[in-house]
Amino acid sequence: MRNISLLFKQFSRTVLLLAGLTAMTTAANAQGDPKKGETIFKAKCTACHKIDKRLVGPALGPQITSETDDAYLIKWIQNSQALVAAKNPKAVKIFNEYNQIPMTAFPELSDADVTDIIAYARDEQKKLTAAPVGGATSAAPAETGPSALLIWGLIGVIVIAFIVILVLNKVIGTLERLLLKNKDLVIDEEPEVEGEPVDRLAGIKKLAKNKKLVFFVVLCGAIAMGSWSWVTMWNTNMHQGYQPVQPIKYSHELHAGAMKIDCQYCHSGAYKSKNASIPSLNVCMNCHKVVKTESPEIHKIYDALGYDPDKGTYDSTQAKPIQWVRIHNLPDFAYFNHSQHVVVGGVKCQQCHGPIETMPEVYQYSPLTMKWCIQCHKRTEVNFKGNAYYDKMTKVHDMIKKGEKVSAAVMGGLECSKCHY
Amino acid sequence: MDSNKKYWKGLEELNKTPEFVEKNKHEFAEPLPIEEVLSGAGLASRTPRRDFLKALGFGVGAVTLAACQKVPVHKSIPYLIKPEEVTPGVANYYTSTYNGHAILVKTREGRPIKVEGNPGDLLAGGGLSAQAQASVLDLYDTNRLKDPQLNGGDAGWDEVDAFVKQQLAAAQAGGKKIRIISSTVHSPSTQAVINDFIAKYPAAAHINYDAFSYTGIIQANQQSFGKAVLPHYNFDKADVIVSVGADFLGSWISGEEFTKQYVSNRGSKALESKKMSRHIQFESGMSITGTNADARIPVKVSEEGLVLVALYNAISGTTLPGTKKLESAKAATAVTLAAKELLAAKGKALVVAGSNEVANQVVANAINVLLGSYGATIDLDNPSNQYKGNDAQFVAFINEAKRGEVGAAIFLNANPAYDYFNAKDVKDALGKIKLKVSFSSQKDETADLANVIAPNHHYLESWGDDSAVSGYYTVLQPTINPVYNTRQAEQSLLIWSENAVTDYYTYVRNNWVNNLLTLGGLSGQSGWETLLQTGFVKVAPKTAAPVTNAANVSAAAQLIAANSAKLAASGDDKVELQLYINTAIGDGSYANNPWLQELPDPVSKVTWDNYAALAPKYAEKLGVEEGDVVKIEANGYSIEVPVLLQPGQAQGTVSVAVGYGRTHSGLVGNSVGKNAYPFASFSNGTIGKTLVATISKTGEVSPLAQTQTHHSYEGRDVIREVSLKEYLKDPAAGTDHGKEHKTYDLWEAHERPVYDWKMAIDLNACTGCGACIVACSAENNIPVVGKDEVRRRREMHWIRIDRYYSYEKNGQAAADEETGLVTKEKEIAKLEDLDHVTVVHQPMMCQHCDHAPCETVCPVLATVHSSEGLNQMAYNRCVGTRYCANNCPYKVRRFNWFNYWNDSRFDNYLQNEHTQLVLNPDVTTRFRGVMEKCSMCVQRIQAGKLKAKIEKRPLTDGEIKVACQQTCTANAIIFGNANDPNSELSKALKSERTYYVLQELNVQPGIGYQVKVRNTIENELA
Repeated sequence: MRNISLLFKQFSRTVLLLAGLTAMTTAANAQGDPKKGETIFKAKCTACHKIDKRLVGPALGPQITSETDDAYLIKWIQNSQALVAAKNPKAVKIFNEYNQIPMTAFPELSDADVTDIIAYARDEQKKLTAAPVGGATSAAPAETGPSALLIWGLIGVIVIAFIVILVLNKVIGTLERLLLKNKDLVIDEEPEVEGEPVDRLAGIKKLAKNKKLVFFVVLCGAIAMGSWSWVTMWNTNMHQGYQPVQPIKYSHELHAGAMKIDCQYCHSGAYKSKNASIPSLNVCMNCHKVVKTESPEIHKIYDALGYDPDKGTYDSTQAKPIQWVRIHNLPDFAYFNHSQHVVVGGVKCQQCHGPIETMPEVYQYSPLTMKWCIQCHKRTEVNFKGNAYYDKMTKVHDMIKKGEKVSAAVMGGLECSKCHY
Repeated sequence: MDSNKKYWKGLEELNKTPEFVEKNKHEFAEPLPIEEVLSGAGLASRTPRRDFLKALGFGVGAVTLAACQKVPVHKSIPYLIKPEEVTPGVANYYTSTYNGHAILVKTREGRPIKVEGNPGDLLAGGGLSAQAQASVLDLYDTNRLKDPQLNGGDAGWDEVDAFVKQQLAAAQAGGKKIRIISSTVHSPSTQAVINDFIAKYPAAAHINYDAFSYTGIIQANQQSFGKAVLPHYNFDKADVIVSVGADFLGSWISGEEFTKQYVSNRGSKALESKKMSRHIQFESGMSITGTNADARIPVKVSEEGLVLVALYNAISGTTLPGTKKLESAKAATAVTLAAKELLAAKGKALVVAGSNEVANQVVANAINVLLGSYGATIDLDNPSNQYKGNDAQFVAFINEAKRGEVGAAIFLNANPAYDYFNAKDVKDALGKIKLKVSFSSQKDETADLANVIAPNHHYLESWGDDSAVSGYYTVLQPTINPVYNTRQAEQSLLIWSENAVTDYYTYVRNNWVNNLLTLGGLSGQSGWETLLQTGFVKVAPKTAAPVTNAANVSAAAQLIAANSAKLAASGDDKVELQLYINTAIGDGSYANNPWLQELPDPVSKVTWDNYAALAPKYAEKLGVEEGDVVKIEANGYSIEVPVLLQPGQAQGTVSVAVGYGRTHSGLVGNSVGKNAYPFASFSNGTIGKTLVATISKTGEVSPLAQTQTHHSYEGRDVIREVSLKEYLKDPAAGTDHGKEHKTYDLWEAHERPVYDWKMAIDLNACTGCGACIVACSAENNIPVVGKDEVRRRREMHWIRIDRYYSYEKNGQAAADEETGLVTKEKEIAKLEDLDHVTVVHQPMMCQHCDHAPCETVCPVLATVHSSEGLNQMAYNRCVGTRYCANNCPYKVRRFNWFNYWNDSRFDNYLQNEHTQLVLNPDVTTRFRGVMEKCSMCVQRIQAGKLKAKIEKRPLTDGEIKVACQQTCTANAIIFGNANDPNSELSKALKSERTYYVLQELNVQPGIGYQVKVRNTIENELA
C-alpha cells in the first residue's frame, strides 16, 4: 500500500509540475483547457494512446488534429461503440482499421472534459510539428559531459598545482639566495657547493654502516612485502567491487532509486526461490511498451523479444535472449537460498547487495566469502516473531527467557550441511 | 546372537579364499605403494641437490602459471517471456504415467530431473521400480535418433508421411496385409488410434507381441474359464502363497504392485497384529522372490510342471495321469506340506506358476479353483491389461511375411529382430515386406532393418493415457518440449490414416471427455483439469462371477509329463537351461541405461553382464569356477558367458538372463553380455524359455563385476533373523533388548535441540529389489563408473543392498567349523547345504553414528556432526586422505577416483554435457579426490524446513521423505525426527524388533534395523 501511495504521490507531483509549466508557456485555448486536458489524458488515455505514436489505439496528435468535427470526437470518446453500432461510416472505418478492438467507453467524461483533452492533443501536436527533432536530444551531451569534464578538470588542476609548486620553489630559491647575498654570506657558497656531493655520499655511507638502521629498513620492507602478498593471496578469487559491462545499460539508480520500484517487482524469485532471478523481458515490457520507447537501450529489449514497436507485434523467430553478465557468483558447492534470507530472515536486499538504489551500474558490494557469511550468521538474531515454525523449539524459548541472544549460529547456522551439500 | 546360523555374502567369504582374505584387509582394492617407496631402493636412492632444485623450480613455476588463469565470466540468461508457473529454482511436479503407474515428474526450469511415484497410485501406492526411476535418464540419451529416417538417411516428416501414405495405399490396393506389431498396448487412446487406423486400412491388423509373454496364462484361462485374460492377482488377500517359478516380486507381470501387496502381510503392521503370510517357492534359479520366501525348494526346470501336478494331487486327493515322482525327496515333502497349508487357508490361498506353458497354467488354475482362490486372491473379472501378447499371432505374422503376403509392417515399442528367438526368420520376413516402419527412438535392431524410422517421443514428452488394470485409468502429459525432431507414434498413425483429428493431444482429450472422464465422475474442461492434477481415475471393481473349471486337467498333466521328459537333461554335458528376465535390464529395452546396468542384480550382485548361474556343487562337477567362461549350446546357437556360482540354484540347471547382448542399443548397452533370446522356441502355441543345452568349459576367464563381497564385515554379526514362532513367543527375540550392559563413552553426547534425524529399516519388508539405489543415484547425482571400475571395487552407490546367504548348520557341523575339523566329506555336505540357503537383504548406507569413527580421524574436519544428528560431509574441505573410509565399520564411504562428470573416459555412461541436464541442481557433483556418502538427503531436509518456515508453521511428520524411502514400494524405510515421540520413526524405533548394526561398537548408529522374521516351520525340509 505504501508503495502505491508513494508512486501516486510521485506521479501527481510530476503531473502538477508539468501542468504548471504548460500553463505558463501556452496561452489558454478558447475551446478547451489543455492543462485540464493533460491531466485527464494522463489519467484515462495513456494506457492505449500516445500523442505521437500508435499504441493500442491511434496516435492522438495527428488523429485529433486532422478530425475537425468536435461533436463527433466527443461522441466517439464518450462511447465509441454507440457510434459503431449506429454505423457511422467514419467510426466503422477506424474501428476496423484497429482490428475491431473496442475503445473503452468513458461516460463519466463530460463534454467539457473531452474538449479539454482535444485541446491538449492539438496543442501537443502543434508543439511536435513546430519543434525540430534534434531539439529533444540537445540535452544529451550535457548529461554525459560532467563526468569527463570533471576528470579532465581534476587532471588540469593537478598539473597546474604541480607547476605552481615548481614555480614557487624556484621563487623561494631565488629569494633565499637574494637574502643570503644581502647578508654577505655568499662567500660560503662556493665551498659548500663543492662539498655537497661528497657530504651526501658520506652521509649515505654512514647510514649504511648503521646496522640497526639497515635492519630496521629491511624489516620494514619485509613486512610491507609480506603483508602485500598476504592480502593479495587472501583476496584471490574474491571479487568485491566486480562491475562488468552489461549488455543493456540498466540503471538501478533510476528504477529502484528515483522511481522507487520495489525490488520484488522484478526479482520476485527472491521471495519464493533460491534464485532471486533476473526478470524475464516480459516484466520490462509491462512498462516499456509505453515508457521511453525511443531509447536505444529499450530497443535492445525489443530486439531481443522480436518486438516491433510500431506495429506492436511479436515475432518469436527473431527472439534471442539477453546474456547478462553474472555479478554475484557463489561457488557451486555453496548452497544459498534467497527466500530463506529475505522472507524468513527478513533481511533487506541492501544488506548484502549494498546501496543498490544508488548504483547506475551494479557492482558486487559484499565479499561473498564464507567468513562474511559466518560473521553475519553469528551476529544476526533469528526473526522468529509470529512464525509458528519456531513454536515448539523449547531451547529457543529458554534462551529468550534468559534474555540471551538467539542468533542464526545458535540454530545451527554454522554447520557444514546448512550450505554444503 | 545365540544361533547356529552363519551369514555370508559370497562363496569366497564362506570358504575364506586367500584372495578374499587379502582383499578384505583393505578398504580399497589397490593400496598405495607406500611399502615399495619406504623400503629398499625407494628410500635408499638419493635425490641430487640439483635435481631437487630443478623439480622445485619447475613445480613452483608450473603451479604459478596454472594459477594465472582468468576467472571465467558467467552469463546469466533469463527467460524472454517466463511461463507463469515456472519460478527458477523451484521444482514443479506434473502427474504422468509410467508403464501404467501414476507418477509425479519433478521438473526444474522446464526439464524433468526425477520421477517419483504418485502417492495415489492404485498399483504401487507411490513406490516405483528401479526402471521407472531410471527412465528419466533415457530422455537425455544422446543415442536417440534426432530426425526421422527414410531409407537409411535423415529425412523430413513431410517426406516420410508422403512415402508411408503412398506405400500404405499401395499395400491396401494390392491386396497385401498391413500389420501393426507392438508390445502390449494398454493405453485406451493408443488402442483407439490403432482401431481408427485399421478402419481406414481394412487390410491392417494389430498384433501384440511381448518379448516375454504371458500367453500361457491367457490361453489357460481361455481353456479353463472361457476368458482369455491375464487375471489381476491379490497377494495381500493371501495367507498362504505358493509360487512355482513365478518371480512375482521381481519381473513377473507387475512386480511393484505385488511387492506392495505381499509386504502388507509381512511388514511391521502385520507382525504387530501377530500375523504373517506364508510363502513357499519352488524354482530352479534363485530369483528375488525366492530369496524372500519362507521356504524355498530348488527344483529342476523339468520338474516345475511336475511340482504343480503333485500339488494338485495332494490337494485334490486324486492322482492325475502322467504323475511322476519328484526326484528330490525334499521337494516331495515340501509339496505335501504346502498342500496341507494351502488347504488349511482355503479362500485365502494363492498358487502362481511362472511357466509360459499352457498346460502348467491349466493345472495351476485347477489348483486355485480347488482352493477357492477365484474371487478372493485372483480376480478374473477385473483383469490386468499389462500383457496381452499372443505368441502364436506373431509366429503367424512371420510366416505370412515369409510367404510375401504382408505389404507393410509397423513396429511400435517392439524389437523382434533382437528379442524374437529366430532373428533370421525376422530378417527374412522383413526382407519380403515393402514398407517397414519402426517407431523406435533409437536405431535398434528392428529399426535397422526398416526403411522408415519415425522416432517416437520419450514418454516424458508425450501425451497419452494408460490402463494397467481394468478400472484404473491414468493420464500422461508432456513435461518438456521434444528434445529432438521426433513425433509421437500415435500422431504419426493419425496422420497416415488421415484421421479427422491429427493432433494427438486433441485426440486423447476427446477420448477422455467422451468416454473416460465420466468413469471418474468428472466432466468437461474442469474435469480434464482435475484429471491432469490428480493423474488418474478409478472405477469401482466389478464383482466376481463364480467360476467353473472347464479345462481338461488330465490332458494337461499328461502334456506336462511329456514336456518334462523332453526337458530332463541326460548325459554329463547336458544341462537344463532356463531363460529369465532380471529386474534391472528387463527384456532388453533398458539396456542403454547406465543406471540400470550398474545396478547390482538383487540376487547375484553382478553388474554390467549376464552370466551362467550354476549351483556350486554342479560347477565343481563340471570343473569350472566362478568367472570361467562356459559355452552354452542349443538349437544350433551358442553363447559364451562367465560362470556365476549361485547357491540355491537347482543342480543340473543353468539360468541365463535375457536382455543382454544388444547390438544396436547405443553406446552403453552395446555388447554388454550375450543375447540369450535365440535359445527360446515355439511349441504348443507359446514361446518357451526352457530347454536342454550342452555346457562346456572354454578355458577363458572373464571376472564378473560383482559387488557382493565389496565392503565386507569380516563375519561380524550384522544380520538378525528369527522365526515367526520365536517372534510370537518373544517380540524382542534376536535383538539385544534386555541384554544391555553398561557402556562407556569416549565422547560427550551431542546436543539435539530440535531435530534428530534418524531412520528405521524393516528387514522384513525389504525385498532387496534395488529401486532405492537408482532413486538415490538420481537424487544425489551419483556417477556411473563402469564395469572395470566396479571390478576394482570402486562403485559409487551411496546405498547398497547387502545380500546374505545362510544355512542352518546342525550342531556338529558348527562345532567342526569352530575347531577347524573340516574334512573333505564335510565339505561336500556343506556344498549340499548350499542348495537350501536362505537369504536376507539388508539396505546399508551411512549410519550417521552419533560417535562416528570417521569424524574422529578426519585431519581437516571435513566430516563433522550436526546438531540435527547428521554426519555431514563438506566436499570442498575434504583433501582425500581416505582415513574416514578406513575407519568406517559399515564401509559406506565412497571415494571419487576420477572427476566422473567431466572425464571423457566416462562419456559412454551418459555422463556428457547433454545428459548432465538430468542432474539435480540442488546437489553438488563431487570432484576427483574427495569422499562422499549418504547425506540423508540433506537437501530435502533443508527444503522441507524452509517450506515450513515460509509458511510459518511447524514441520509436520512425514513431510520430508528421503529418496530411497519415497521410492520403496514395500515401505521398508522410515525417516523422521526421533525427537518427536509421536513421529512414525519414533514408533518404528520403539518396536521390540529394533536392533542396531554393530551396536556393540557403541558408535551409536542412527539407523535402526528391525529383525527379519521368517515364517518357517521347523524341519520342514528334513
